[in-house]
Amino acid sequence: MRRADQVTGIVMLVFSLTVAYTSWQMPQRVEFGPGMGFLPFWLAVIMAVLSVLLLFHASVRKSASVGNPFPAPRALLNVGMVIAGLGAYIAVLDTAGFAVSTVVYIAYLVSVVQKERWLKSALISLLSTAGLYIVFQILLEVKLPKNIFGF
Amino acid sequence: MEILQHLLTGFEIALSLKNLIFCFMGVTLGTLIGVLPGIGPVTGVAILIPITFGMDATTAIITMAGVYYGAMYGGSTTSILLNVPGESSSVMTTLDGYQMALKGRAGPALGMAAISSFIAGTFSIIMLSWIAPVLADFAVAFGPPEYFALTFMGLTMVTSLAGDSLIKGFMSGVFGLLLACVGVDAISGSPRFIFGSIYLLDGVGFIGVAVGLFALAEVLVNIEEPLKQVFVKTKLNMKNLFPNRQDWKDSAGALWRGSILGFFVGVLPGAGATVASFLSYAAEKKLSKHPEKFGTGVIEGVAGPEGANNSAAGGAMVPLLTLGIPGSGTTAVLMGALLIHGIRPGPLLFNEHPEVVWGLIASMYIGNVLLLILNLPLVGFWVSFLKVPYNILMPLIVTISAVGVFATDNNIFDMWIMFGAGIVGYVMRKLDFPAAPVVLALVLGPMVERSLRQSLTISHGDLSIFFTRPISAVLTIFALLSLFTPLVRKFWRNYRRAKME
Repeated sequence: MRRADQVTGIVMLVFSLTVAYTSWQMPQRVEFGPGMGFLPFWLAVIMAVLSVLLLFHASVRKSASVGNPFPAPRALLNVGMVIAGLGAYIAVLDTAGFAVSTVVYIAYLVSVVQKERWLKSALISLLSTAGLYIVFQILLEVKLPKNIFGF
Repeated sequence: MEILQHLLTGFEIALSLKNLIFCFMGVTLGTLIGVLPGIGPVTGVAILIPITFGMDATTAIITMAGVYYGAMYGGSTTSILLNVPGESSSVMTTLDGYQMALKGRAGPALGMAAISSFIAGTFSIIMLSWIAPVLADFAVAFGPPEYFALTFMGLTMVTSLAGDSLIKGFMSGVFGLLLACVGVDAISGSPRFIFGSIYLLDGVGFIGVAVGLFALAEVLVNIEEPLKQVFVKTKLNMKNLFPNRQDWKDSAGALWRGSILGFFVGVLPGAGATVASFLSYAAEKKLSKHPEKFGTGVIEGVAGPEGANNSAAGGAMVPLLTLGIPGSGTTAVLMGALLIHGIRPGPLLFNEHPEVVWGLIASMYIGNVLLLILNLPLVGFWVSFLKVPYNILMPLIVTISAVGVFATDNNIFDMWIMFGAGIVGYVMRKLDFPAAPVVLALVLGPMVERSLRQSLTISHGDLSIFFTRPISAVLTIFALLSLFTPLVRKFWRNYRRAKME
């Protein structure tokens, strides 16, 4: 955790200095009162101070717990697969259409990530997609994305 | 008398067929979410925002609030039968509830959990009905400095009570405020931090952030290691669900103390249902004639915390409705939902939209009765949901979240916000940064900025305006004091430890 906190401290320090710099370029004062750069600038300053405190705290305090807060590579791979799949899902949703992308994504989650059998995965994904379609498209009248074939 | 009049109108609204159906759906879904470990009330309410988007505001808030307090009921079931708390607010129930189940007394434990939830929940709604209008009347005269002080206090209290590290809590809060700065500045009308994207002109989408930070991040944490479930096999039927006379005698005191304690803890920003149940358990153990029996399956260890967490859920509605200051992650999401419907919680809400306030309050009376019916005879039905494997649940949560976020605006960009917020939320959990302050700050951000800038405009840039007006002075001082509560807590803990040794 100590190393993780140090890294977070540095990342957030860089982030807050960037924000502070950007908002300093905005009007700090207008005719009647504070301008639109006022709050973000001071927030960024507070954030910078907090980042330094975190960095200091992590480096100096002995009680800071040791060890990696992130799970073992195997578990992290699971997390990565869900995220990567979701990214791909959002990216193709507009062109592939709701039905195709959702069936594929759910089947991927159940079979590849959760390691269920193919037949079971296919069944779960078809039923879930149908359910989602009924709730969103039919009951809530949302216009879900369609592909060029119209589904 | 006026309040009774309002309540009557509220009941008229809440008892309309549509609202009754959605109240029922809300509490049913809430119970289900409470029962299922790995999905909590914040997630449930966040996923529901897009789904309730097309409804009118009253129906939407009735449904979402139903999920919130419904989850308080359901959470106890898994605590008692599986030793796995369905929610953080039912952690205390595992201590004695599971022990009771091991001794073959799962029935009375489940029954007492449901009954004490009902009594305490109803008690807190009665308190809410009487206190909220008075507080709203008082707050009507608030000007920008008072509002700034109020939001500032809400943020500091939530932040200082969230998580273990004060620094991390505040970093979360400030990060949320910075996120709220993205988009067109409300006062000057110029865009800022939009990085050339027209989608960011309206700011960072609240729904995407809330669903990502809570729902998606929760899935990611749960997917690391599969949950292992060990059932306590038990026969559940109506007859053995009812606590016996001795159980009642043992629980009565715990129940009323839990109800009162829970309500006031719920009213305080930042504390909420989880803290309420902890405090109630601690209080009962302290007051008990046989504290050594706690943890071995005493029924008052179930009645107190279960009453307290339900009562707190009602109490948490007080600052949300009267001041527009949500005190927890879930109420922050509720507030965001109200804002999306064009309803601004706060003192004026009682005059501007009485139908929303009183419809909601009345629906909570009804919802609690529904929950008692749902939870007592049907507890076996809910238990069977525990057998739904996470393999099926997980893909469903992810896709419902994603499609729901899309549905609010028919906009893929919002899904990317959810995607980003999910990753950030996961990393934050791993690094012990609390997520609730981010959402709270994002919701309150525009109000913080407007009231701060208006106040400083009134005072020509003089910060003393926050200390010279009495109400704002008291609130600001409270806010500053709350910054020190973690230090006081730490000091107190060390002091007690030193004394014990």
